[in-house]
Parts: sequence; C-alpha cells; structure tokens
Amino acid sequence: MVRKIMIVEDDQPILDLMDLLIRKLGYEPVLVPNGLEALELIKKEAPALVLLDIMMTPINGWEFLEKLRGEYGMRQIPVILFTASPLVDEKMEKMKDPHLGVLTKPVSLADLKAGIARYLG
Amino acid sequence: MERNIRISGYSISHTDLIRFIIIAALTLFCILITTFSISRDLETIYAQLFYFPIIYATYFYPQRGLYFAGGCAIVYEMFAYIYIFPDTGGMIYVTLQALLFVCIGAMVAYVSEKLNTSESQTRSIVEKSQLGIILFDKNDFSIRLSNTHLEHMLGYTAEDLAKMTFPQLFATQQDQQRFYDALGPGEEIANFETLFLTRKKEPVWVNLSWNRITENLISCTVVNINAFKLAKLAADEIDARYKQVSDSLPTSIIIIRNQMIVYANPSFTAFSGYEPDELLGKDPLTLIHPDDQADFTKACQLAETPSLPPARSEIRFLIKSKKTRYATLFFSTILQDESPAVLINLVDIPERESTQERAQLDKRRKRGLISTFAYELRTPLQPIMGYINLLMQDPEKYGVTEETRLILDRCAKSVDRESQIINQMLELSVIGTGKVSLEYTVFSVPELLKTIINAGKYGTEATITIDVPQDLTFDADKKKIATVLDTMLSNAVKYSMPPRTVQVIYRSSPGDPMHNLSIKDNGIGITDARLDEIFEPFSVPCPGENNMKFDKIGLSLAIAKKYIKLHGGYISVDSIKGLETTFGIHIPKQRPEEV
Repeated sequence: MVRKIMIVEDDQPILDLMDLLIRKLGYEPVLVPNGLEALELIKKEAPALVLLDIMMTPINGWEFLEKLRGEYGMRQIPVILFTASPLVDEKMEKMKDPHLGVLTKPVSLADLKAGIARYLG
Repeated sequence: MERNIRISGYSISHTDLIRFIIIAALTLFCILITTFSISRDLETIYAQLFYFPIIYATYFYPQRGLYFAGGCAIVYEMFAYIYIFPDTGGMIYVTLQALLFVCIGAMVAYVSEKLNTSESQTRSIVEKSQLGIILFDKNDFSIRLSNTHLEHMLGYTAEDLAKMTFPQLFATQQDQQRFYDALGPGEEIANFETLFLTRKKEPVWVNLSWNRITENLISCTVVNINAFKLAKLAADEIDARYKQVSDSLPTSIIIIRNQMIVYANPSFTAFSGYEPDELLGKDPLTLIHPDDQADFTKACQLAETPSLPPARSEIRFLIKSKKTRYATLFFSTILQDESPAVLINLVDIPERESTQERAQLDKRRKRGLISTFAYELRTPLQPIMGYINLLMQDPEKYGVTEETRLILDRCAKSVDRESQIINQMLELSVIGTGKVSLEYTVFSVPELLKTIINAGKYGTEATITIDVPQDLTFDADKKKIATVLDTMLSNAVKYSMPPRTVQVIYRSSPGDPMHNLSIKDNGIGITDARLDEIFEPFSVPCPGENNMKFDKIGLSLAIAKKYIKLHGGYISVDSIKGLETTFGIHIPKQRPEEV
C-alpha cells in the first residue's frame, strides 16, 4: 500500500510541484491549501508524514503543529517544516520534538528524498 | 520703687537737696522740742522725735546717716547734760537714749544698705544691659521704665518715653494691631518682629520679647535687628528673583540638602511627573535608577568641593510613571538659607531613551525584514529547482534531450548559487549573529582536505600539493572548518594562473599554541590596499580597479573570517601582486575552556 504524505501549503505553484515530486518519490500526496482543512482531513487521510509550510493563513504552521500535537493527540506523526523562512531553525530547536524536522526551501529532489527517508525509512 | 530708679544725674541732686532740707528741718525741730521739753523736765517724752530724722537719713544715706545719728546723739547728750547735771540717774538715761539713736541709725543703715545693694544691682543690670528694656503698664500702656540702650536705639530721652505709651513706638497701625493681637492672651511672647519708629521717624526693625512681671506691669526686651533684617530682606529678594528665574527655566533644577529635595522647579516636576509637594522632602535616591545611585551620590559629594567645576553625570531617573528617563546632570554647591546645598541642573536626553529602544526595534525590524526577504527570494526558487530536478530525473518522460539536460544542469547550478548566496547573506546578517555555538570534535585534517578537494573537484583544475602531517588533527567545529577550507581552496583554484598550482602547508612548532595552515596559490595577487577589504561583507570595490574578479569572492571570505574568529583564531593574508597569494588559517590548538 502506498503511504500518504500530506502537504500543507498555501502557495499553489509549490503545491503543483509537490504533487509531482511526492509521486516521483513513490508516495501518495494529499494536497491541502491551509491548516484548518488539514486538521479536518488528517484523521481521515491518516498520512504517514506531514510536510508543513509555516507562513500560512488563517492558522500558521506553528498553530497547526500545536493543535496536531495537542488537541488532536498526534504526537508521533513525523512533521517536516517546509519553509523558506530563516527564523524557523531557532524556534524548532527549542521545541525539542523528536518527530519534527525541517527542510529549507528551495529543496532539491535529492534533499527531499533524504529528508522524508529519515522518518519513513 | 520706679520713681527712685528713674532718677538720673540731674534729678538725683535735686532729690538730695529736698531730702537734705527735710532732714535739716526735722533735726532743727527735734532740737527745739528736746531743748524745750528738757527745760520743762519733759525729756523722756520728746527725745524719741530724733528717731525720725535719723531713720530718714540713714535709710537714704546709710553711711552719712550714721554719722548724722552720732551727731544727733552728741548734740542731744550735750543739751541734756546741761539741764540734768548732776542727776546721775538722769545722765545714765540720757546716755542710753543717745546710744539708742546710734543703734537705731545703725540698724536702719544696715537694712537700707542691704536694700540699696540689691536695688542698685538690678538698676545696674537694667541700665547697662545691651538689650533695650522697657516696662509698660498692661492697662494704659504707659511707659514706666526704659534703659539707656533703648533710649539710644530710638533716639528718645527717658523723659520723652515717660510721656509716651508703648504702642506709639510702632511704625504702623498694622504693627500696632499685630502687637495687640499678640498681647491678648499671651503672658509671654518671644521673637515678635516688628518695625519701630525712632524720634527722627526712621523705621527700625526690632525683635520684641515680653512677659508679665507683676499684675499690671509688662517687661519687654527690645533687640535691634535692623541690619540683620535688611540683609535678610535683600537676600530674600535675591532668592525671590532667583526663584522666579529658576521657576521659568526650561531646564530642570533641583536643590538637595541633607539628602532631601528642598526645591524643584516646574520643569523638573514636569520631567519627573511628580507633584511639587510630593517631591519636597523626598530622598533624591528614590528617583534614581538603582544602577546609577552610586554615581549620583559620588557626583553630589564631588560637587561639595568648591574648587572643582560643576560635576557632570548621565543618570537614569525613575519617573512617576515607572518609566526610565535619561538626563545629563550638572552638580554644583550653593548656599541655601545659609547652609550648603547641592544644586542640580538637569538636561533631559529623550533621544537616548528612544535610541536604545529604536536600536532594539531596528534589530527586530531588520530581522523581520531580512527574514521576509529570504522567504520571498527562496520561495520562487523552489518550483524552479523542483521542476529542473524532475526534468533531469525523468528525461524520457518529459522529452529532455542531452542538449537540454546540459542547459538544465546550468540552470540548476545557478539556482544552487542563488540559494547559497541567500544563505551566506543570512549568515552574516543579524539573523546569523545569534548562532555562535560551535560543535567541537577532533578530526583528521588531511582527510577533511581530501574530502573537500574531491567534492569540489579542485584537483582537476589545478595541481594541489598537500604538505600536512598525516596524523594532524584539529579540535574544532568540523563543519565550519570545512566551509573555511572549501572557501580557501575554491578561491585559490579560481584565482591562480595557469598552470594552476595550489599548496596547502601546515607549520607549527610544539611550543606554538596555534595551528597554522596556509593555502598558497600562484594567482593574480591582491594589492595591499585591498587586503583588508576582501574580508568585508558587502564591501564597495575600489574605484579605478578591475574589481570584477573579486566580486566573485562574494561573502564566503567574510564568513570564513567569522568562523575562524569564533574559534578564537584569525586569518592572515599575504600577497605579491601578479605572483602569489597566501591565506593563513590560525586557530588555537586548545579548545577554549568554557566551550
């Protein structure tokens, strides 16, 4: 069975790209344009991993993560912050979440593969 | 008693004359009566008449009165003997009578002397007192007594004063009224300051203190305070003028005495936010930022040395709204109400406060701005990089020919470079300043060099000789040292001239605390003027030079410098223009203790 990877991203060109890249890497992409929708879908879709953009509305990546780990109780699901912002690393390090990683845009196909492989083997 | 004391030079002799006449008349009368009575054998009844002149005389003039008594005794005896002789009993009686005259005279003289002594002492005290003394009647205010000091003070004679009432001495109706009000219930009043008028109608400031000495008599001391009062009025006027000036000054002024604020002008109250009455009596230190209290106290003490110019200090104030405000303070010592006080002139420095806040804000803004820039620059690179990767991964699927593959490869390299430049910019910007931590490990230097050379394919472009001990290890942040070495090698290869040769040389004696690794190329060289500039990020190229080549160094040397500095080392550069350039990396052999 093909594992699902949920991509939460509000930038359509990147969603379009990720659709192709994730497929290329052999996973089934679940494309979601915002955090709230992602939270609605996450139980139903049950992805193996979440690629999460940070700068989004109406809730940003951090808020999504907080709800996911808190209210939704999904503490084990790997989340890779997928961002172009340089301030993410510092904040991420403070969170000390073993199931949280970061990939800084632009990410090459090789880096993306390696990044996902860290969690999904 | 009053009548006696008021006797002065002229009137005493006048009184003496009257007394002399009285005594003489009485004596004459006694002699006549005695002679008459003795001749009629009535002596036993009338001899006692002599007591009157004797008592009168000895009372007023004790010494001379006693001689007078003796005289009277002799005269009386002489006359008596003439008539009584040779009656022995009568003679003894007369002798005893005469002796009794002297005894009575002596007794009265003694008592009078006693009385006179104390009275003359009192008179002398009052008369010679350096205070003006005046006695007046409580009911009609008539002046009963005054001393010469008072008379001189006001220019009146004793007679003038005797005809006056006490309130007439006051200069104005208001002063009189104040006096009546003060007199009313009070038995004793001290330090009642008022204006008197002299005989020449000149005003004199006096200080009155009075108390009641008998039921109707009030004794009042009068001190001339004219000079003092005029000086004080003048000083008060200066004070008032000074206060008027300081009250309207735009700069803040406070005066501190005995660790208390005794004056604060309106500018200071506005500055501090406190009401004037909240400030007065307050310890100034409660207004000073705890870190600046020592400076403030020191400046106050310095100000007490008058030879020094006003001490100046920058102090943080805690104003009422709990905010901190900066001010430059000028301390100087002044006399305030005749005691030394510290005057502080305070110049508000609102800019300072905002400068610090602005710097903080600027830093936050810069972080935000740079972060946004990076975000905006990186995001569009993602699809470019992603699609290029995709096309190159599946050339058949997307119909990519070998020629397009080459083009796509060049595109990918450009995107890589763009991405790398953004990362370098971030590393050198405020965002990179927070990341100062180094991850120390011990690693082999020859191995690291090999890895870098292989990864960068530098060996294919230049002949690289490595003169480094095979067992050389560094205790440092491997990743950062790798970045530095990569920069050095990449530059050396890039800027050497064909045939390109690059030498990596390690030199260090056992006593040398530093590792010294140099990378030498046979390159174009760098002019001395540019040697420092090449490490400056975003440096502006020298005008007139062909700087294009150096522009490609980009930010990597600045980052290399930063990384080596973080390790506690430095980068040296030595160049002969058109011949060679040597970059030296110097880092401590020992890991710093605190890391």
